[in-house]
Amino acid sequence: MAYRDLREFLELLETEKQLVRIKDEVMPEPDLSAIGRSAPNMDSAPAVFVENIKGYQNPVVLNVHGSWQNHALMLNMPKDTPVKDQFFRLKELWDKYPIKPVFVNKKDAPVKEVIIENDINLFDVLPLFRINEFDAGFYLSKALIVSRDPNRPDSYDEQNCGTYRIQVKGKDTVAIQPLPFHDAAIHLRNAEEKNERLPIAICLGNDPVLSFMASTPIAYVQSEYDFAGALKGAPIELTKAENSNLDIPARSEIILEGYIEPRVREIEGPFGEFPGSYSGARLQPIVKITKITHRKNPIFENLYLGMPWTEIDYLMALNTSIPLYDQIKRDFPEVEAVNAMYTHGIGAIVSTKSRFGGYGKAVAMRLLSTPHGMSYTKIVIIVDEFVDPFNLEQVMWALTTRVRPDKDVFRVPYAPGMPLDPSSEPAGMHTKLVIDATTPVAPDFGRECELLGTPIGVEKWSEILRDLRKEGGNK
Amino acid sequence: MKCPRCESKFVNVMVKSPVGDVWEVYLCDTCKFTWRSTEGENITDPEQYDKRFKLNPEEFEKLGHIPPIPPLTKNK
Ligand SMILES: [Zn+2]
Repeated sequence: MAYRDLREFLELLETEKQLVRIKDEVMPEPDLSAIGRSAPNMDSAPAVFVENIKGYQNPVVLNVHGSWQNHALMLNMPKDTPVKDQFFRLKELWDKYPIKPVFVNKKDAPVKEVIIENDINLFDVLPLFRINEFDAGFYLSKALIVSRDPNRPDSYDEQNCGTYRIQVKGKDTVAIQPLPFHDAAIHLRNAEEKNERLPIAICLGNDPVLSFMASTPIAYVQSEYDFAGALKGAPIELTKAENSNLDIPARSEIILEGYIEPRVREIEGPFGEFPGSYSGARLQPIVKITKITHRKNPIFENLYLGMPWTEIDYLMALNTSIPLYDQIKRDFPEVEAVNAMYTHGIGAIVSTKSRFGGYGKAVAMRLLSTPHGMSYTKIVIIVDEFVDPFNLEQVMWALTTRVRPDKDVFRVPYAPGMPLDPSSEPAGMHTKLVIDATTPVAPDFGRECELLGTPIGVEKWSEILRDLRKEGGNK
Repeated sequence: MKCPRCESKFVNVMVKSPVGDVWEVYLCDTCKFTWRSTEGENITDPEQYDKRFKLNPEEFEKLGHIPPIPPLTKNK
């Protein structure tokens, strides 16, 4: 692998001209939010390393995952790799699961270089800031949070690493949002039934594949660390936490160790979320931070999220698409690729060869009965196998030349929906829309039409033109 | 000083800037809102804080629990 941790990945981004540095002093508000919003709006968007923030000691890095170029570099591919090729590469790596981690001694783990146990003050280490105007406070939006099942404390496989939003509420106190269907909520329930504290570790500034896996919906008994190893083709380095039996990345920038107070809920939110709207205030658990360990000169990594597309949309794009592809491909081998990267899969595009007339509609119904598609996916578009579902120009071509609205469009009224979709009414129910944009095959029929081909020599000339541009246009 | 969001008077200095004496962060004990002294008046001034995001502490009890608190198991 070309990098072992966040620092080495940032070096790689800088070499590839995918990282910019801001050296002038900036204000925590409104500058950091504005920088995080501006970066993903750029073509070939870079990560932004902010060195000097008024009142704080340490730097912050934003938009590490926020472009397809950075995403390709995470997968060790050339930065101009098309999204569809990244999808297939990811699928290939996915099938290498599991690659088990290696454990390093605490004394050799970079994240233990500095240990703080007295007078904990998160602001001494983290340059905290408000992400969106009406957020309730300062949030950690890109943390990897580790917990174990208190009923099975020795089970490595049931240990979970997930990303949950964290609101800072004191020098040593934060709030956490484990939604009932997420794995950490199972751990918390088992601890709260016994009125016990649940130890957790909040890991910040990680190897980019760890951030990627922490936001991927995998099965309860699968290990995010073993998947991250598969994506890297090499084991992740782990070490033990100071105050608990938790396994934490040895090369993180910063670890906040602590515990969730059992049977306590306190007001949290609102917070600007990925559909581009605020999610409201609720009563949620509290975490007491009892220890901070960090590397020397630690880098705080956080992300801006808001009106799509922002960094989080790149982070959740292919890790939502791959499991759906896996599940549909089992029964429909003609399926070529699945793009479920719009608003976390609320919109999905599938490319498939049609075995017989009406096949596209059957593929759509299969997608709408997968665990994720059943509730999340509201709009499904099916295109031919030669259409790249990640290329919206091609998808629009298919919609404009392959859809007869009188027979290719249908709705499923009042089906399971996704409550964070502000159009679901009542929240959690919606009507599905299916658009079959495939070419009719027998026994269905369409008007005769012949597709245009490509001129002979296109491949050769594409390469020549690309090389000429690399050399500066043959000046 | 009053909380810009719920207008409670129970507000405290949570932290001062670790480097230099350049800002303070305040915490509302009632609604747990936090804000920095250097933020704009759209955030710091109770009069100017957007009405759509104001909170009434009397309604907190009615808010949902995420996740719900389970019953205690008896034998443990
Ligand atoms: Zn308040």
